[in-house]
Amino acid sequence: MSTTTGKLLEQPPHYVRNYPRFIWWALGESTNGNWLFYLWMFVLTCVALVGANAWAVQVADGMIVTNMTDHVSWGLYIANFTFMVGVAAGGVMMVIPAYLYHDKKMHDVVIVGELLAISAIVMCLLFVVADLGRPERFWHMIPGIGRFNWPMSMLTWDVIVLNGYLLLNLHVCGYLMYMRFLGQQPNPRWYVPFVMISIFWAISIHTVTAFLYCGLGGRPFWNTALLAPRFLVSAFVAGPAFILILLAILKRLPGQTIDAGPSRLLINIIRVTILTNLLMIVSEVFTEFYSGGAHTASTMYLFLGLHGFDALVPWIWTAIAFNVIAAAIFLSPRIFRSTPLLIVACLLAFVGSWIEKGMGLIVPGFIPSTLHEIVEYLPSLTEWKVSAGIWALGLMVLTVLLKMARTVFNDAVAETPVP
Amino acid sequence: MNIGTGNPDQKNTSLPILGQPTSRRTALKVAGAALGLAAFGKAISPLMAIPENVSVDEFLQQHYKELSDDDKTAIFARLEKETREDYGADVKISDSRPIPGVKFGYAISLSKCNGNGKCMEACNQENNHHRGVDQSYIRVLEMSKGSLDMDQGNTTYDHTVPQDDKYYMPVQCQQCDNPPCVTVCPVEATWKEDDGIVVVDYNWCIGCRYCEAACPYHARRFNWEQPEIPAEEMNPDQGYLSNRVRPQGTMEKCHFCLHRTREGRLPACLEACPTGARVFGDLNDPDSDINWVLKNKRVFILKEDLGTRPNFFYFFD
Amino acid sequence: MSNSATARSTLLLVVTATAMVAAWLIIRPVLADRNESNATDVTLTSTSTTTGNTTANPKYQVTVRKPTTGPRISTGLQDVNGNVATVACGTCHSNRAPNIKTKTVADLKHFHRSLQLSHGSISCLSCHNSSDYDALKLADGTRVEFTEVMTLCAQCHGPQMRDYEHGTHGGMSGYWDLSRGPQAKNNCVDCHNPHAPQFPKMKPTFKPQDRFLKKATTHPASLRTNGL
Repeated sequence: MSTTTGKLLEQPPHYVRNYPRFIWWALGESTNGNWLFYLWMFVLTCVALVGANAWAVQVADGMIVTNMTDHVSWGLYIANFTFMVGVAAGGVMMVIPAYLYHDKKMHDVVIVGELLAISAIVMCLLFVVADLGRPERFWHMIPGIGRFNWPMSMLTWDVIVLNGYLLLNLHVCGYLMYMRFLGQQPNPRWYVPFVMISIFWAISIHTVTAFLYCGLGGRPFWNTALLAPRFLVSAFVAGPAFILILLAILKRLPGQTIDAGPSRLLINIIRVTILTNLLMIVSEVFTEFYSGGAHTASTMYLFLGLHGFDALVPWIWTAIAFNVIAAAIFLSPRIFRSTPLLIVACLLAFVGSWIEKGMGLIVPGFIPSTLHEIVEYLPSLTEWKVSAGIWALGLMVLTVLLKMARTVFNDAVAETPVP
Repeated sequence: MNIGTGNPDQKNTSLPILGQPTSRRTALKVAGAALGLAAFGKAISPLMAIPENVSVDEFLQQHYKELSDDDKTAIFARLEKETREDYGADVKISDSRPIPGVKFGYAISLSKCNGNGKCMEACNQENNHHRGVDQSYIRVLEMSKGSLDMDQGNTTYDHTVPQDDKYYMPVQCQQCDNPPCVTVCPVEATWKEDDGIVVVDYNWCIGCRYCEAACPYHARRFNWEQPEIPAEEMNPDQGYLSNRVRPQGTMEKCHFCLHRTREGRLPACLEACPTGARVFGDLNDPDSDINWVLKNKRVFILKEDLGTRPNFFYFFD
Repeated sequence: MSNSATARSTLLLVVTATAMVAAWLIIRPVLADRNESNATDVTLTSTSTTTGNTTANPKYQVTVRKPTTGPRISTGLQDVNGNVATVACGTCHSNRAPNIKTKTVADLKHFHRSLQLSHGSISCLSCHNSSDYDALKLADGTRVEFTEVMTLCAQCHGPQMRDYEHGTHGGMSGYWDLSRGPQAKNNCVDCHNPHAPQFPKMKPTFKPQDRFLKKATTHPASLRTNGL
């Protein structure tokens, strides 16, 4: 393998002509692996196919196959979408120390965060498409041929920032990997500005996503200025938590040398953000319950149940318990020594913020409805299938991207059988 | 997974993938990819329903505001044909435009409304609503006397009305002057017309339901499935922007019966009201009934604090 | 190093500029909207200048439905075709002396005892014309035909009559715009039984079933306020 790579390097071909070829080559390389890799991809493919089938049925038969109603008009899809935007934004937490504070140790793993962001954005876009009643009319949103209600609709802002973030990260990752492949020193002019933009952009994707909800005056549960900061903070819990799990997995793969520095930094970041997140939840809950009034209905429904309806109560208390336990583990010094403990803490934090931001934030915004009717919501089997399918596809994308990066960054990789 | 599926670059020997020592592995990959693609095709085969239900003309149809008169004639003819094929009913689709200088307002006397729900029924019949769920653009809330808090309200009462300690409040689209639903729509599929009516282009809506989340009055409805309407119950007097049969997966809402009101007629819910609680008219006409109500009654609007500026009013006698 | 510092400051500038442009783009339509709304408010209040199109030249009439004849009373007999035989009031009352002492249904000995009378404290002859039972009378004794019953009601129910004249009392159908078509309005006794005018109780017959509301039913807020 190294010989072919060397051959390519001897005759440096034209840049534009061969960047796609490089991608193609790296994609090909990423399909090599051991039986564990093939099993992993096979399982993901199966889940993704089940999801694709469920979605196709949903498009043909109508959204009646979901459990959404005119009262709870957004459900599991938009919940997952919101959470994944957070994960994508959280990926940037690798970038800030690496580039803003010139932490050289971070440079090697920064690409992990960016690849995670790419996969997360792909999932976000898929979740939005899954939520559309008429996905084939998607072109109505394309500026020029359709009608793009920008700048008034926050959804159009979200479309812009999400796709922009996707392009930014594709460019940065692709460029860095290509330069590494060519054995050249990356030219800062071609990537540093984009990295800087992507830092602000990461904040913007989650702020805009929060504005999607908090701009709605008719939904008191969302109509709070704290929503965007809360989104960001919980994103900076979930994103780094996922990266920590990834790093722990990568570290176990042969031929991998990953410095402990980035992990330490990420743990320290989570130590701050997880507490800030809890503080924000507490202040929201305090504001709602201490003053009371009709405004409190959704919060009441979420935490204690309302008029005998309490479908979400177990969800939110699970999330709170997970977040509190994770916070306690993260604050303990043992987190630096015990990898299993770290994994447990990261999983708890990740699942906790998934519930809190998904089922715990999107659904109670609709309960009670604007006419104060209570219609409860739990996802249908179709919704679970489609969501699982999108998760599987996202993990496939992430696996392929990480393998591409490994192929490029470890020259010797082809000789060692790697998963 | 999509490696080796008919890429033109395959023959190029400079591609390292073909320089691999084990061609057995490559062959397996190709086989796997082919199998995966076949499985994917099978998985999404229910999508074949789309070309059956959505014609090319419908798919490529432009936004209402960009349609010429000829376009409209062709589209209305197509929709009439589809209604005949799908529902067995002969209908006429028209395109009533706002009357110049007219702005519609609607008021309900909460002293008179007794919650009998005839307005909801009339809406269901007039507007070709889904019969399976008895859909309607109106909901009537039974409210506790002494409170305007909707949390004390209830829409599912089925006892004799009116109850002594209750009053009744029908809620439908308030045709806001500052409509949140219009602001949030990403594709401008819903907009406010000159006479104040907020309409939806059912053939442009992508079904994201953001407007439904934004509306503070629960005025919007989504077509979770294709509506069922028996042919004999189909109202043949249809408007493109109002009561024609709506497609699955799109949003709809009260349009003040614009196919009637823009022809000078009263809305169906008003005519159906046995208590005479409803008042409809032109806000720009100083002598209209609606303006008399605004000047002489104690009028309020719902959720005024949200700044939506409704053209729908409530009053007590 | 200075290279990346320049890059950073340029970047900051670009981001700020973008944010300002975006903010302006958002605010502009809102401002425009506000101006527009002020304009509509003005046209609303300044009355005569605007169109005044509809009521200025009404081509069509508002017609009030009228009772066709006076009431008829069942005799309890059937004619040859099996139809219930009814008679006009005058059939009996033209040869019976009126009893001015009769105030309520309970005072009646033979006829009309099944009548429900629940109309304030007025008595039969407050409205019925003792000198001609085939008509009614106003408080000052003026004879009023049954078809003109609204004149009689309006003597006491002034506010309702005023509302009625402005379309805010009583049902109607047809056209709101009289330049395009006629309007038909109910009269008082279409909806109110003159002997017991309170609007009758009704049973709701139509309930939209929102997709899962069938299971969820109502929430018990109403029960709570009833003290249950």
